[in-house]
Amino acid sequence: MSEMYTRVISAGEIAPGGMKAVELDGNEIVICNCGGKYYAIQRRCGHMNAPLEMGTLDGIYLTCPMHCAQFDITNGEALSGPVPSDMGHEISPAILGGYLQNIEMLMKHVRTESIRTYATKLEAGWVQIRL
Amino acid sequence: MSQRLVNIESRKRSLHYFYEKVVGPLGFKFTPDAEMVNFLLEQEVILEGRHGIPFCPCQPLRNDRARDMHIVCPCIPFHRKHFDDIKRCWCGLFVHKDVLDPGKLPQLPPKEVKNE
Repeated sequence: MSEMYTRVISAGEIAPGGMKAVELDGNEIVICNCGGKYYAIQRRCGHMNAPLEMGTLDGIYLTCPMHCAQFDITNGEALSGPVPSDMGHEISPAILGGYLQNIEMLMKHVRTESIRTYATKLEAGWVQIRL
Repeated sequence: MSQRLVNIESRKRSLHYFYEKVVGPLGFKFTPDAEMVNFLLEQEVILEGRHGIPFCPCQPLRNDRARDMHIVCPCIPFHRKHFDDIKRCWCGLFVHKDVLDPGKLPQLPPKEVKNE
């Protein structure tokens, strides 16, 4: 593993509480600004690969936009899996309902893994990441 | 088992963080009884691992989504009058902000609350 840090964005590019996706050497990464402290995590959710920068960041807790799995951005730890949906109550067409129930059944077997984090540092106004 | 078990302590911390934001504006706070908070949050993490949702650990699930959604913690908004009358939520995880001694608050069902 490289010990080199790479400049990725200037510090002013993300407001506190905001996130931004970047790509570095083929790695999809999300930079999070948590009250002026920067964290870098893998972009893809540990559940079903949704882009996490489209989710919500509240303190150190990030909620996935797709199924609301939650992660701790300081260490990538998965804190909860997907929130179950209300299949069968909102969908009336039988074929679509059956299809979605099948998806729901398959999804029950999908585990939510913790996500990777990257070391960051702020230097000379730049957020830098170590891969 | 659909979900890998999460780290219970980590999840308890995050639930505490989010709940505080919800119950504060409603006039409630976590009970000062730290042992009770610790125990109840742990039960909620276990329920979340089982059902995907941190239900109230002190009320029964009825397998009726509309009704069960009313006992997702913090369930204060769904039982506001009752909990305001007894100055605590059903579990006692949350109490009114002015409560210093939660041990003195009886767990009264709605029918037994005065003026109910």
